[in-house]
Amino acid sequence: MKTARQTKREAERLFRLCLVNGLLDEGRTRQVVQRMIESKRRGDLALLSQFRRLVKLEYARHKAEVESAMPLPADLRASIQADLARTYGPGISASFVHNPGLIGGMRIKVGSDVYDGSVRARLAALEKSF
Amino acid sequence: MADILREIEAQIAGAKAAIARQNVGVIREIGDGVARIEGLADAMLNEMIDLGHGITGLALNLEETEVAVIILGDYTQLHEGDEVRATGKLLQVPVGKGLLGRVVNTLGEPVDGKGPVKSDVAYPVEKIAPGIIRRSPVRQPVQTGIMAIDAMIPIGRGQRELIIGDRATGKTTLCIDTIISQARLNKAAEDAGDKDYRPLYCIYVAIGQKQSSIAQIIAVLEKADAMPYTTVLASPASDSAANQYLAPFAGAAMGEWFMDNGVDALIIYDDLSKHAVAYRQISLVLKRPSGREAYPGDVFYLHSRLLERAARVGEKYGNGSLTALPIIETKAGDVSAYIPTNVISITDGQIYLETDLFYQGVRPAISVGLSVSRVGSAAQIKAMKQVAGQLKGDLAQFRELAAFAQFGSELDPKTQAQIDRGKRIIELFKQPQYSPIPVEVQVAVIGVVQEGYVDDVPVDRVKDFQARLTEFLTTRKTELLRKIAQEKALSEALIAELKDAADQFKQAWK
Repeated sequence: MKTARQTKREAERLFRLCLVNGLLDEGRTRQVVQRMIESKRRGDLALLSQFRRLVKLEYARHKAEVESAMPLPADLRASIQADLARTYGPGISASFVHNPGLIGGMRIKVGSDVYDGSVRARLAALEKSF
Repeated sequence: MADILREIEAQIAGAKAAIARQNVGVIREIGDGVARIEGLADAMLNEMIDLGHGITGLALNLEETEVAVIILGDYTQLHEGDEVRATGKLLQVPVGKGLLGRVVNTLGEPVDGKGPVKSDVAYPVEKIAPGIIRRSPVRQPVQTGIMAIDAMIPIGRGQRELIIGDRATGKTTLCIDTIISQARLNKAAEDAGDKDYRPLYCIYVAIGQKQSSIAQIIAVLEKADAMPYTTVLASPASDSAANQYLAPFAGAAMGEWFMDNGVDALIIYDDLSKHAVAYRQISLVLKRPSGREAYPGDVFYLHSRLLERAARVGEKYGNGSLTALPIIETKAGDVSAYIPTNVISITDGQIYLETDLFYQGVRPAISVGLSVSRVGSAAQIKAMKQVAGQLKGDLAQFRELAAFAQFGSELDPKTQAQIDRGKRIIELFKQPQYSPIPVEVQVAVIGVVQEGYVDDVPVDRVKDFQARLTEFLTTRKTELLRKIAQEKALSEALIAELKDAADQFKQAWK
């Protein structure tokens, strides 16, 4: 029976195997998951879910979610993408979402960093200051 | 009107809001007052985390993929998946003179219904204690008003003196007496316009106590007019372990403000046993490795870093001080348990209260043999040193002789005299609660006893003798008392005057 700590350690080791030059390699990740499922060892499910969590966090670190009150034109999207790549390195991929709830402005989330320039956030800050 | 519109429009057009980067995370797991948060990559240790709904958390464990946050306040409104954000600020509490006379919680928020606390300064809860260079030796006394302490176990300003004993032995009462004594001295100095007197402000930190006990203490302090010089920081048993763990540190921050501003302050931690239990709970929930009695490995550091913050700082650094009176509750008088030994080794002495003495009617139930003040007589006024210098040794000798005398053998007159004197001194040190005695009266009374005036007074009438003598001195010999208080030493002339007064009193006393 593996302890939670052992599972965590093993998941981290597997995860490190999937990194190429500090970036997650999709091919290797698929290979690792495939092999593990095929091996049918005990406690694999727990290990896989821990592995999935690490992959998810790594994915979130390199994914930018750009929300805007209005759909953004292609040239603006390209310039945002370029700015993000300058700040966070070339591995970053941006996804654009249209969210009218922001009222106006834009909100960008990369990993645990948030740049909130939306009207909604400013209204919330104003409300808090009262 | 049109001008105003145009102006507003121009201002709107010119307005540009700077967008700051924020650090956010998502609650992954929540329970037992601890939230585990994914994200928050830039969180600092002890940083305040805004959990939404006006609830604050404190980042205590920074791990590779998550941050464990203790929640200060009600966590029933928080859910898994909620977004939280780092504030970039360490936990801090309001400090300053505006807190005097108030009852606040761990975060410095008022709980006495007297409106907001007037304070524009905040201090971080965790702060490194003053270093060696800034400190100066402890010299000035804290007049507790309790004769046994002021005479035999003197406490100095900037000292850390542990008060230790079983349940219901009068630990809290001792501290409340001290607070009342300070309030009386402060008020007397204020009324007399005495510029030389350094007022001593008090902070009472209640950790894990019953709300009813805290309410009672506040009532006693109010009745004695001590609240204007006192802050009560209450973290009752119904508070979360996180709040109880932080309460003494918040109190220390409030005391440090006084110290930094060249004022003397006294802080009472009531009590550190419950504080250690609260910290143990947090550590276990945070899955930190546990050691002896399941306390975490850093429970010694927890108390040493707290008590190190009590200090007297030098003239160059404002000459303020923070005196700490931590309380520890023992189980069945066992001082060799884990937490008591830790705190005994950290502090500059301890006042040990015994259950047996308490039930024998010796109150305050101070065990003279086990109590000690390592700063010692450096923090005593000269007059007290003159009359009480030998007292501790005499009493220790008396205990030894009294044990020997139990065998009922014939005693030589010298031994008998020592035993008789000891019995009378013990009577003398009995003192009712909430009635501190001014130091000049203490000096005069002990002086009279040392001169042998009570040797022919029956033991059961010593208390009556003392009460009448005090009354006689305070009503008819105020000049003598004033001289003792002012000169702070007993000159030949003063001793003669004191003897003269004692002779006068003795003639009238029956």
